[in-house]
Amino acid sequence: MSYALVVSEIRRGLFEDRNLDSIGFSNLLQRNITLLIPEGDYKINEKFVNNIIKVRIEESSFLNPLNMITALEKVINLKGNPDVIIFTLSSSGTELASYASGHFKLPLITDVSGYDKEKGIFLKSYYSDKIFGQFKLTDTGPFIITVRSGSFKDNAVEKASLPASETLEEIQISKNRTFIEYIEEDSTEIDITKAEFLLSVGRGIGNQDEIAGYEELAALLKAVISGSRPVIDKMWLPKPRQVGTSGKTVKPKVYFAMGISGAFQHIAGMKDSDCIIAVNKDPQAPIFQYAHYGIVADANKLRDNLKVIMKG
Amino acid sequence: MNILVFAKRVAAAQEEELRIVNDGQGVDLAKVPFKMNDWDNYAIEEAVRIVEKTGGAVTAVSIGDAESDDVLRRAIAMGAKDGFLIETSETIHDPNERASVISDFLKKESTPFDAIFTGVQSEDDQFASVGGILAARLGLPYASMIIGIDSFENGQVTARRELEGGLRERIKLTLPCVLSIQSGINEPRYVSIMGVRKASKVDRKIFPMNNYQENFSNMIEIIKWVYPEKKAGATMLTGELSNICKDVLGILKENGVCQ
Amino acid sequence: MGDNLAGVLTCIQCGKCTGSCPESGKTPFNIRVLIRKKQFQSVIAEGIPWFCTSCGACTIRCPRDVKPSEVIIQMRSLLVENGKIPLTIQKALENTFVQRNPWGRSRNKRASWTESVDFRIPHISETKDKRLLFVCCIQAYDPRCMVISANIAKILQKSGLEFGILGEEEACCGNEIRRIGETGLFEELQEENIAAFKEYGVKEIIALSPHCMNALKKEYGYHGIKIFHYTEVVSDLIKGGRLKLEGVYDKNVIYHDPCFLGKQNGIFDAPRIILNFINNLKLLEFSRTRENSLCCESGGGRMFYEVENSGQRNSDIRVQEAIANGADLIATSCPFCLMTLEDPAKEKELPVKDISEILMEVI
Repeated sequence: MSYALVVSEIRRGLFEDRNLDSIGFSNLLQRNITLLIPEGDYKINEKFVNNIIKVRIEESSFLNPLNMITALEKVINLKGNPDVIIFTLSSSGTELASYASGHFKLPLITDVSGYDKEKGIFLKSYYSDKIFGQFKLTDTGPFIITVRSGSFKDNAVEKASLPASETLEEIQISKNRTFIEYIEEDSTEIDITKAEFLLSVGRGIGNQDEIAGYEELAALLKAVISGSRPVIDKMWLPKPRQVGTSGKTVKPKVYFAMGISGAFQHIAGMKDSDCIIAVNKDPQAPIFQYAHYGIVADANKLRDNLKVIMKG
Repeated sequence: MNILVFAKRVAAAQEEELRIVNDGQGVDLAKVPFKMNDWDNYAIEEAVRIVEKTGGAVTAVSIGDAESDDVLRRAIAMGAKDGFLIETSETIHDPNERASVISDFLKKESTPFDAIFTGVQSEDDQFASVGGILAARLGLPYASMIIGIDSFENGQVTARRELEGGLRERIKLTLPCVLSIQSGINEPRYVSIMGVRKASKVDRKIFPMNNYQENFSNMIEIIKWVYPEKKAGATMLTGELSNICKDVLGILKENGVCQ
Repeated sequence: MGDNLAGVLTCIQCGKCTGSCPESGKTPFNIRVLIRKKQFQSVIAEGIPWFCTSCGACTIRCPRDVKPSEVIIQMRSLLVENGKIPLTIQKALENTFVQRNPWGRSRNKRASWTESVDFRIPHISETKDKRLLFVCCIQAYDPRCMVISANIAKILQKSGLEFGILGEEEACCGNEIRRIGETGLFEELQEENIAAFKEYGVKEIIALSPHCMNALKKEYGYHGIKIFHYTEVVSDLIKGGRLKLEGVYDKNVIYHDPCFLGKQNGIFDAPRIILNFINNLKLLEFSRTRENSLCCESGGGRMFYEVENSGQRNSDIRVQEAIANGADLIATSCPFCLMTLEDPAKEKELPVKDISEILMEVI
């Protein structure tokens, strides 16, 4: 029977939220959902899927492309070819999806954020969301995709009954890539994920010298300062201050984005904030699509003006 | 240690407003400047640094039109020994095609290597997939999002991968392998124009891409380009800057973060 | 490097260079010592050459024509070729390589500033006189400095002086790029601009920034084109009666001589003539004025690089003196000076204005 194979992303014992987008996409395709998951005790709503296949393996070995293809081969032997294999859009999801695509010689589209079922069209971002490409498969599939978090999770719905569950026989762990340890970032730094009010700065502030002015404003507003990837890359702010997929995901009461244009990787890390205020020189900046309040202005000028008012 | 690094010439679109033309069939890049893909710049720098320690050579390879020679010269100026151009006038959208061309090229030209580096993704299509597909096609171990390399010796690499939420994992891979390098792994050196001019004196080899396409037909195709869907959008605050500031402070107060 | 060493060897270590250097004393930068080290070909710490603001005072004062400020450029060139340069300077160079401006803004938006002018500014090819307004990066992109381009365009229009622009065909003049030591990139920019000047038969250029004027006039080689700073053109328009200054300006204005306009190119009078023509304006002078003007410290790549341990900023000293002298505002005629002086002046609520801004209030 045709089915969608959802490869779950489990990290440090946590069933990541973005797995729901993979499940939602499968529903959009109207396929039975088989969830592939490492054996363990996770908090998940099993009713979202039709079948669960467990793999006797540590999560760190599960999220390893070399072991994943072995596991997928076993699943295919057991269940036949799936119509689609879905991974999350994440560090590991992308790694696994591309490796599986090369191994099984199956078509791959990554970062899918929309799907037109009638026409079989996948929507994929180009140039940091400046434009999108509509893609089609040249054949009928099976195919592999990674789905953008937030794009399909609303389609994840509970099924009437609990899923059937089975466990794969032991798989051979590859010696060619092995997990050593997790590394946490320096925890002496302030935790931006716990802040209620983030003042976040981006490339648009111009240069490193401007940071001091923002720190001053943050102090006046009692906000915690954070930044987008370019700002961290340039070392204007330390790495633990980074908001975005390669940094922290934050949900403060207020996210005040100054000089951040809003690359997707950044948006993904802050879009669930209660209130987003964005200042940018470019009226076309993507961040305005996610912000609750937008200001087209030079962030540095707004900063200086705010400072003057705050100092009374 | 011989490292092959794949580098792509991409449109520097960051500051540009891209226009879709021909009823969605094209994107007008005529006036957009081009440059080396940012992630590939980090990959070349990392490879050059490794080779400076271990000996051996870095070879930069680019797939693209004749203009992609820019990228090779830049890579040579950074410390690569050779530059190979797999020349084509077509734009490749299918990452499987790109990876297939590369694996065919490596086999046919019997290019020796201990490791292959790619950037995590390219700024234009952001597929972030060529490294993984290539590794699987070659049957080699693979890791992406490499944000630090601890050691590169005795047939093994120890490296750090960037995960989400500030978490990283340390892993070990056997050589040869394919690694996709994340931006921020190093600070790429400055490449001066004089450096590029000197690099121009190093011969770059050109290979026609159609020699490596026999075994592949496209798995996906692009039908149309579209602009992003406009979300509901923000309430725009306009007027005098000082009034905007007062509005902002009002909003902060409303949301309970500033008195 | 033989020639350059020969020049350095003529140095008699008199110390006039260090004596006139705006960085000496308060920073580890000692130009005389650097020349000495160069004579002995001893090692110079990587960070040191980046202190130089390229004000040119050392070169002007040197009795042996050693050209210390040029020696600094040679030192920086070596660092640039080795790729060992401060990150922010690296970014400025890479941006200039890609987008032809150090901020990496889209070259396609180089003429965006014209949107703030309510008449159409023609492309140089559409003009008869072939008089080019050379806008350059900071006046084309920086919101603070874009007003200078708009103001001058309006002033020229009002005076009936025909002019055109190159728009997105204009590339950065390269003055700072050369001083950062990126000779190759400077040459590329120069070739690109010269090719455009030739293509459109440019006869005369009005530069908005003294930095651009300097490069175009003295570093682009012979091209037969007359190069002016806008203050020269505007002062002539006023003297010739083509531009009437009708308003009154009841203010004490202190004028800051930019290094690249004043000491390096000898243009001291044109800006003062303009200011003196303005009704009721009282022109004040700094104690260090004209040839001895105190450098604002933003030239020579310092616009893109914050040095460590620079003590009190010269711009602070300038602002303090302006206030002590009873100035209502500081006037200058260089976008770099404008931005740098405005920083400390803002805190003291002392306005800093480009001469074009004052003019707009009285025409």
